[in-house]
Amino acid sequence: MADPQKKFRAAVLSVVKHDYLPMAVAAHPRFELVVVADDAGSPDWVHERNQQFADKSGIPYVRDVAKTFTDYDLDLAVVSSEAERHCDLAVRATDAQLHVIADKPMSTRLSDCDRLVEAVQRNKVKFLLWNRNLLPAVIQTNEAIQSGAIGQLQAIHIDFYFSKDAGPTKGTRQPGDPPINWLDHQIEAHADGSDGGVGIEAVGELQIEGVYPLGYIRMLTGANVRRVFTRTATHFHQANVDNSVDDLATVSLELDRGIVGSLCIGRIGASSHPDIGEIKIHAIGSKGGLVIAEARPEVSIYYRDQPPAEFKNERVANENDFLLMDNFAHALDTDCEPILNAKDGRDIAATVFAALESSKTGQPVEVPY
Amino acid sequence: MIRLAFIGQATTAEAYGSIRTQLHRASWTAFAPIDIADGQDGRPLGQVVTVASPKVLFAEHTNDFDAVVIDAAFGQAENLVDAASTASKPTLASPLLANPSTLSPASPLFMPAHTWRFLPSIRAIKRSLDSGKLGEPGLLRIHRWLPLTASPQTLAERILPDTDLACWMFDGEPEKIWTLQSSDNPNYIQFHLGYANDRMAMIDITSSLPAGCDYFSLSIIGGAGAAYADDHHNMNLIYTGSQPNALLINQGRTDLAGQLQEFVDAIHEQRPAAVILEDATRANAVSEQIIASAKLNQVIERKENN
Repeated sequence: MADPQKKFRAAVLSVVKHDYLPMAVAAHPRFELVVVADDAGSPDWVHERNQQFADKSGIPYVRDVAKTFTDYDLDLAVVSSEAERHCDLAVRATDAQLHVIADKPMSTRLSDCDRLVEAVQRNKVKFLLWNRNLLPAVIQTNEAIQSGAIGQLQAIHIDFYFSKDAGPTKGTRQPGDPPINWLDHQIEAHADGSDGGVGIEAVGELQIEGVYPLGYIRMLTGANVRRVFTRTATHFHQANVDNSVDDLATVSLELDRGIVGSLCIGRIGASSHPDIGEIKIHAIGSKGGLVIAEARPEVSIYYRDQPPAEFKNERVANENDFLLMDNFAHALDTDCEPILNAKDGRDIAATVFAALESSKTGQPVEVPY
Repeated sequence: MIRLAFIGQATTAEAYGSIRTQLHRASWTAFAPIDIADGQDGRPLGQVVTVASPKVLFAEHTNDFDAVVIDAAFGQAENLVDAASTASKPTLASPLLANPSTLSPASPLFMPAHTWRFLPSIRAIKRSLDSGKLGEPGLLRIHRWLPLTASPQTLAERILPDTDLACWMFDGEPEKIWTLQSSDNPNYIQFHLGYANDRMAMIDITSSLPAGCDYFSLSIIGGAGAAYADDHHNMNLIYTGSQPNALLINQGRTDLAGQLQEFVDAIHEQRPAAVILEDATRANAVSEQIIASAKLNQVIERKENN
């Protein structure tokens, strides 16, 4: 076992989306951010955001990733770049013998995920894909299932609706207006935190958020998804319509050990729920069923002149970020695997890509392993 | 005042009897037990003529009632509907798995009993949908879990209500159907329906809960809003030591009352009822395809027929 007092030194490799990921790393007493780094050839807006975060954190920003690896005595890299760069930056970090924590989605290409899994294994480092598996209600679900409260698990269903807007609503583009450019739209969306799909390649909700519910399913079942059947739609947002990516999807799942399940997911607009959205877990076992509200516990707060966009129900006792970092520290200390490692992330990505293929073909698709 | 005859079991007569004071412009006048052992147990309906059997009702007592409500098992119901149609009586009848042979456009009013459409929660959601508040519906999600003891016997019966709800909410038939069943649980089914314009429904139904309370959740996601009817939201708690137990709030039988009133109103107003034979026919046809998808392990493709 490594020194349990050791403080791990982290480089932030690009921080262009919301900064929740590096902030979560910095908030844990076993980790410290020491530098922000990115490639010199990155566009100006990327450099600006990196510099802003570095300034806010009181650490340097270096426009040379390789140099950072050699100059800062690092233990790990925190990757929070555009989606299509996640795997490339992560592989470069692992090849420098750094552990990696990466934001979702793991990648926009399954081949990149495979490359990352190979690099993590070859370099014998740890990789954590950011997730929500340690939310209080998800922990409770896991405990109930693992304790046998509902018997042998037979079916699992996740409803995962984010009631957030994402720019102009569907149907609002006027004749003669150009289609919305995905990257421009995501850059603008940074201000209100709805830039989850930031990058050059357009990605739908299944790709952006799918890792969360599929991460639940993977943890709760301990099973791989074998086959999927999917319907997708662009039902809400003009940017998704213009870039041919989904904002609503339903996926039927067939898993190992005969378990079946489903996923309903979407970015369904801020008007559709008073809070972040209806997120629920339903599980059926041989002895009963389980219905879990993922947002609980929460408190309700209402007051005069409350901003309409402010959530009126506030999640409390949410230690997901801390627990994920604790889990990662434990993995580093004891050489065990973190809660959602590279192989887990790759298999979830494979499920998402199979689901997207199914939505195009209208047929069930096997998940490649 | 419409005079109603009831054909069914005494337990159902009790349910109808409990709502009889809510009924406008109609009253019960006759009862024909399906089970001969029910004898005189039409009394909860009030002052009614009780006859020995449905056969006797249609043979000897057609002057004692204007319309008939039939609550019978599948198979039996179709024959009774035929008899009512032959007697030219407007009929409200149990969910059917086959079309009655004598019904035609010239037949008297016929209303299939799709009681699930009249649940207070479902009515509220449908009103929101119909008013346009939710925008175009995009996704319907239903979880329906029942104890085996409270479940209909056949798979076709179990999936009919939610199949009908999906087709009703989307006002059409699905183009694609994909069904999964659990290898470990023969009482479990989930089906995935794809409707025109990329609309979709995902429904799971199990009849394997332990004896006791059931669970129902329906969400519909529209382009401008969403509606959630979830038993989970309507639970109270009782503390008797250890973990608290959840108590589902009883919503009464306003579903039964609403359906019966709609039947009576349709007769009075000489208009089609809110649920018509074509709704039952559609739900049955889609249900058959849902089961076929599971048996064949294939996506069933249908041409929308609207």
